[in-house]
Amino acid sequence: MTRESGKENRAARILVSGPPLLFLVVFFVAPSLIMVLTSFRFPGEFGGLAPIAAPAEKGSEHGFTAEAYQFFFSDFLYAQIFLKSFAVAAATTLICLVMAYPLALLIARSKKQFRNLMVLLVVLPFASNFLIRIYAWMIILGPESALSHFVNAILATFGVTPVTLLFSPFAVMVGMVYVHLPFMVLPLYTNLEKHDLSLLDAAQDLGATSWQRFWRVTWPLSLPGVFAGSALVFIPVLGMFAVPDILGGTGDILIGNLIKDQFLGTRDWPFGSALSIMLTLAVLSVAGLATWFARSATGQRA
Amino acid sequence: MGTRRIPTPPLALLIFLVAWLIPFTAGCARQDSHTAGNEKNVLHLFNWNNYIAPQTVERFEKTCNCKLSQDYYSDNEEMLAKLAAGATGYDIIVPTGNAMDTLIRQGALRPLDKSLLPNLGNIDPAYLDTAFDTGNRYSVPYAYTISLIGFNQEKIKELGLPTDTWAIIFEPKYLEKIKGRVTVLDSQRELMAAALKYLGYSINDADEDRWKEAVDLIVRAKPYWAAFSNTSYIKELATGNLWVAHGYSNDMFQAALDARRTGRQFTIGYSIPKEGAVLALDSLVLHQSGGRPDLAHQFINFMLDGRNSAELTNILGSGNPNMAAMQYIQPEIAYNEAVSPGPQLLGRLEMLQDLDRRQRRLLSRLWTEIKLR
Repeated sequence: MTRESGKENRAARILVSGPPLLFLVVFFVAPSLIMVLTSFRFPGEFGGLAPIAAPAEKGSEHGFTAEAYQFFFSDFLYAQIFLKSFAVAAATTLICLVMAYPLALLIARSKKQFRNLMVLLVVLPFASNFLIRIYAWMIILGPESALSHFVNAILATFGVTPVTLLFSPFAVMVGMVYVHLPFMVLPLYTNLEKHDLSLLDAAQDLGATSWQRFWRVTWPLSLPGVFAGSALVFIPVLGMFAVPDILGGTGDILIGNLIKDQFLGTRDWPFGSALSIMLTLAVLSVAGLATWFARSATGQRA
Repeated sequence: MGTRRIPTPPLALLIFLVAWLIPFTAGCARQDSHTAGNEKNVLHLFNWNNYIAPQTVERFEKTCNCKLSQDYYSDNEEMLAKLAAGATGYDIIVPTGNAMDTLIRQGALRPLDKSLLPNLGNIDPAYLDTAFDTGNRYSVPYAYTISLIGFNQEKIKELGLPTDTWAIIFEPKYLEKIKGRVTVLDSQRELMAAALKYLGYSINDADEDRWKEAVDLIVRAKPYWAAFSNTSYIKELATGNLWVAHGYSNDMFQAALDARRTGRQFTIGYSIPKEGAVLALDSLVLHQSGGRPDLAHQFINFMLDGRNSAELTNILGSGNPNMAAMQYIQPEIAYNEAVSPGPQLLGRLEMLQDLDRRQRRLLSRLWTEIKLR
């Protein structure tokens, strides 16, 4: 390789990686830095932030402080909310995976002319607004809805007291899974579609049962899709506040609701920023773990 | 292999797409002609959702030969946050007392020129000269809402529950009959205010022990509540899914109206608990960033007129501080104590004051605790 072509390579590399890099700097690094800075300041009297420089009146707060973090760690309460949000995110991811895998497999193995139509059907719900779809669930799960009457009629025959579906952890889970299911189906489908089916024939020729063919051939090959889908579901669920707000009951607070409250209800920007930083760190470590798993899983079997 | 023909899209689809666009272009053209003529004659109002009747807007636009342009908020905090983030160009804002206090102390408001407001005398003196704006240098009372209890009249009568006390949302002995059919406001200040009032304290009491007492009361009642809800209770009450809700008087008015219009088998009633409640008085104020103070004064004086002000009550169900409006208010609304409370009841209502930042942080923690337990 001559020196010139090396230079060209570098220029090409910058050209290709530049825009996404710039995007990351503008929309991730810069806002994160602003958040870090905000989290170390005092909240202003009327909301917003107290000034950095000392104001004219004596005794008023200014400058930097780690107060917001002290407040965070002063009580197990906030750690509890984090744990709960992680549990909800993990459960949602698992349910999405269990529901999406057969569907993605079905689409990937069906005749080529139907595949695009089926993928279109998976993404069709995006055509209507997310909030409208969540409000629709309010009607479906409401105490006077056909579904509620049906479920309670069945429960009554077994002598179980009637249940309310809406405003419950169940409703939150339904909403979360419903919203995020396509994000699991699509990466799984793109992965499964690329599988070389002759591998399955080979496995069969070597005497593998259909279960063995799935578990020892298809599943390991699909792991990158599983990890991609899981990250695409897990991370947004962690920050979601609209679903618990609308469908949740009196105890369904998640980390997203807490952060939103700091900015809208409490006007405590530093604490809200501190919470966001903790969430960002948590999300980054989860994403890091997922990549590591994906790499080691595919690396071993490549 | 022959050349592939590019498939022509079905003609019907194309026609549909084009036809679908036509109403839009018509709409745009109409809007253009509307704004082009009086481009500068626009009054910008930053208002609560659904807080002025369309009829009133139409009449004002005719009177002033100008256009009233509205932006909306659904929460004082939201309004303050938008202004703090740099929103400008609003002539008039309609904040509640404590938010107005913040705006005044920030120096964001323009003093009123009272010589331009001859109708100011129509306001009931009981609503003037509040602690938030002594002497009304900046504000003119517009309308008010009361946080109270709305209920399904038939159901509550059948169950024999009291509706004139906060006990119905706090006492387990009542709540067990309506478990899962009750919501309370998803607002730290409002719910704490109701609990503090029920315990016999002031809604502005910031004593930490009393707050904890109120939290205990709330946590004890929480298992019986269906949800914390700020808006969805309107629809849920009107469809019969909810039997009791802690909410705002004008929203209850809306729920009662919806239930009646859809011909439900029940009616929605609402009443102010005898322990007292939160009164939220919203006022018209002039923002510094507004470009048309003359039109703004004209608008305020227009809204002070009894006939115009009465529509706030007749159509939207808001409480009315305007004495001249009383004669235009429909009798069945005028006699409703929850919309226009008598002097005795008025004495038990309080307005929320702003908390300082330490109190806000403490309250937020208590609120998180309530939600997590």
